[in-house]
Amino acid sequence: MSSRLNFSILAVVLTLTGVAWAVYHGRLPPADFTFNNATEIKSLDPALVTGVPEGRIIEGIYEGLVQLHPQTRQPQPGAAERWEISDDKLTYTFHIRKNAVWTNSDPVTAHDFVYSLRRFIDPRTASQYAYQAWYAKNAKRYTLGSAGIKPGDPVEVELNLEPGEVETKRGKLLHGTLVEIIEREGMDPKKYQPGDRVLVVEIDGKQHKFTSSDKRGDLPKDLELCRQVLLDFREVGIRAVDDHTLVTELAYPTPFWLQLMGFYPLFPVNQKCIEEHGAPYWTYPENIVTNGAYDVVLRRVRDRVRLAKSDTYWDRDNVKLNTIDALAVEQQTTGYNLYELGEVDWIVDPPPVVLREKLKSGESLDDLNPSRQFGTYYYLLNTTRPPLNDPRVRRALVLALDRAEITRVATGAGEQPARSLVPPGLPQYQSQMHPEENIEEARRLFAEAGYPEGRGFPRLEILYNTHEQHQTVAELVRKQWQRALGITVVTRNQEWPTVLDAQNQLKFDVSRRSWIGDYLDPYTFLDMFVTGGENNNTGWSNAKYDQLITDAKVEPDEQNRLAMLAEAERILMEELPIVPIYYYVSRNMVKPHIRGFYNNLQDIHPLRAIWIDREGETPSDYAPGGGE
Amino acid sequence: MIIFIFKRLAWMVLTLWVVFTVSFFLMRSVPGGPFDGERDLPPEIEANLLRRYHLDEPLWKQYGRELWNVTRFDLGFPFTLGEVSVNQMVRQGFPISAALGLMALTFAILVGLTAGILAAVTRGAWTDSALMAVATIGITLPNFVVAGILILLFAFTFPLFPAAGWGTIGHLALPAFCLGAPYAAEVARITRTSMLDVLSQDHIRTAEAKGLPKWRVITRHALPTALLPVVSFLGPAAAGILTGSIVIESVFAVPGIGSHFVKAAEVRDYTVAMGLVLLYTVILYTFNFIVDLAYAVLDPRVEWK
Repeated sequence: MSSRLNFSILAVVLTLTGVAWAVYHGRLPPADFTFNNATEIKSLDPALVTGVPEGRIIEGIYEGLVQLHPQTRQPQPGAAERWEISDDKLTYTFHIRKNAVWTNSDPVTAHDFVYSLRRFIDPRTASQYAYQAWYAKNAKRYTLGSAGIKPGDPVEVELNLEPGEVETKRGKLLHGTLVEIIEREGMDPKKYQPGDRVLVVEIDGKQHKFTSSDKRGDLPKDLELCRQVLLDFREVGIRAVDDHTLVTELAYPTPFWLQLMGFYPLFPVNQKCIEEHGAPYWTYPENIVTNGAYDVVLRRVRDRVRLAKSDTYWDRDNVKLNTIDALAVEQQTTGYNLYELGEVDWIVDPPPVVLREKLKSGESLDDLNPSRQFGTYYYLLNTTRPPLNDPRVRRALVLALDRAEITRVATGAGEQPARSLVPPGLPQYQSQMHPEENIEEARRLFAEAGYPEGRGFPRLEILYNTHEQHQTVAELVRKQWQRALGITVVTRNQEWPTVLDAQNQLKFDVSRRSWIGDYLDPYTFLDMFVTGGENNNTGWSNAKYDQLITDAKVEPDEQNRLAMLAEAERILMEELPIVPIYYYVSRNMVKPHIRGFYNNLQDIHPLRAIWIDREGETPSDYAPGGGE
Repeated sequence: MIIFIFKRLAWMVLTLWVVFTVSFFLMRSVPGGPFDGERDLPPEIEANLLRRYHLDEPLWKQYGRELWNVTRFDLGFPFTLGEVSVNQMVRQGFPISAALGLMALTFAILVGLTAGILAAVTRGAWTDSALMAVATIGITLPNFVVAGILILLFAFTFPLFPAAGWGTIGHLALPAFCLGAPYAAEVARITRTSMLDVLSQDHIRTAEAKGLPKWRVITRHALPTALLPVVSFLGPAAAGILTGSIVIESVFAVPGIGSHFVKAAEVRDYTVAMGLVLLYTVILYTFNFIVDLAYAVLDPRVEWK
């Protein structure tokens, strides 16, 4: 009997100890401000992420050369206290403030920015956003690696690391002139082998043959091994004049260059930290070194990232919140429950049914104020597949849609039907609309293209990534097209990576896409559809369009540039390789005691600006009655 | 007994190896690599990066390398190139899931046993039918439905517990209840049946005839024997609570390993999925093993085989 009793007691004690231990280690005092970031972030390395959730945190912990105003999104001094722009708008001289400090107490210098921007465009970093820095002179050629250099160019050869060195270090650099590139006959770029591409470089009057490899294997004896051969970085328009002066030289006037300097992928990272800890360990809370308003103190996967006010940040006196929690709750309903119960102060994505209910009454609410956002939801049409290669067919498909029904049924926050790619709302630009919906005209165009009443028209498939709302939209579009044009349409859903893959390889008929502008300029939308553009994904190509986009890029006169972009959008809306469906609106729910939270076109809300007024002594910046 | 333990261990290692091998080859047979969907890279740089992750090596070599890593408890990094290693995920998530599971299990046993004994003793009375009706409902209702009802009741109407998250013992209450409820019901039914069985046996009648008080007859003479079927149910119950926690953790935003598992399946992150399947296998084996040991302690009739 006693052994049984002992056994039971032991089991109970062990259980309780286990629970107590886990709870003890999981406890955390509540943060001053908690928001639901809605997903687990991929990384805290600004160069490696492209998502909005990552951006929210990275914006809080790092600081770029400029800060964008929380309401107007206009550039204001950040790590740079001032800057000068040359008359030809090509040279920007940034003066880094002397009191800018990293969390390890080192000063933030111009060299830090050179290091970070170089790393950002280094092909080995494989940053998806690298093209945002390509406006700088020769930056694109640098990113392209050996594809960006030709004989006669000054090059830098990065040698392999010594054994045992941290992977994130750069290899020793040799500078020389490229003599020629020798490629093996019938080389398959997909199965690149060391020795397939040999770069002959002249260094100090002597020719060397380099190939990219870290193992000699059975390579010919006369080959030297290296990590990579790139355009000499000294040719790229990014350089430090002294510790506190950074100069960027652009290839063409770029009116949004300053805005880009406040965009998180171009934020500085700490070289010492990266090279000491290596990737990905340098981003761990115990290692990471940052220069922004907040410091990362805890990261619990799929739970939260906790930020604490940095005591080294130069503008710390104007940072009001001491701790911030960014939760990673993915279920919309769970997030909303937490908000309703007051455990969370800001949710970015309330469930559509809640939005609909709340907005139905039409009354103004003190914690929900959807506003226009710089983003468009649209469908790609694969113009390489007949009959979608016929502009009349594409036009008919666009004209046959009833977008009002879509925004009424599928979306919940007052999204507006879209008839253009660039969302309206920019003060300087007028979006170019395609004609109003017209089913008669659509049927006429279909008949003209050889499909009267849809006869003989092949089955169309709408491909979208798995998400409730995308499904509703796809089903509505299917129904509308079938009803209006008498054609057969089916829908298919896949995981996002699979959809992306199909889009890249043009293996679809119709597919869902959306785009949120990275900076407030029509160019961020329109440059996607140049021939072969990375985000074109429709196979569409128009020489005049390409020309207009190229010309707009180098046009120094702002009015002319915008006119060119408008003309390009007009062509796009005539040819219609895409079907615009609706413009996004922001859908934040923010507790009424939160201040410093403003609606803006980019739907970006810097954490450093947020503060709390529980007594309600100041008007809300967010609620319709307050800020505007 | 030593032979018994060794046999169990050998089976566990074999199972782990099979799980590993199947996951490994599944992982490699899927089209596309971890760098797809990124920007087009110059070929030598892509080759360079692939080499860094040893993806350029022949398959058998990769297999050997990974098997070696796993035997050293190094589960690698998520396939989707996250920056937190699978080991860290487990280190952070496991204590949380374990606490949740243990709470649920404790709840299931305590409530289940009490209800079962009460029902058996008052056989045929209204308490019996009421308890068994509740138990039937508890078994049939899916736990996410229970979760919704509980959140409405105990987070909104009566704000006693937080609706989701993790940080205090209160955060565990609702999810542990949801997770444990169906098992409490099951334990109650099993206890009732085996209790009735035992109560009709001769030694109980003897004890009653000797004039022992009723509660003493039950706790001393009936319960220990009636417990045996309950103990053997604990193995499958632990398995159920583990897998059940996958749903519950998502609903209550509890950052345990269950939530990682769901996400890994969603984005096809094979490294995470494999690591967690291996972990689950170990846990299940361990639990069954403990149940067997407990059985031997509780029932002298069992012999080591």
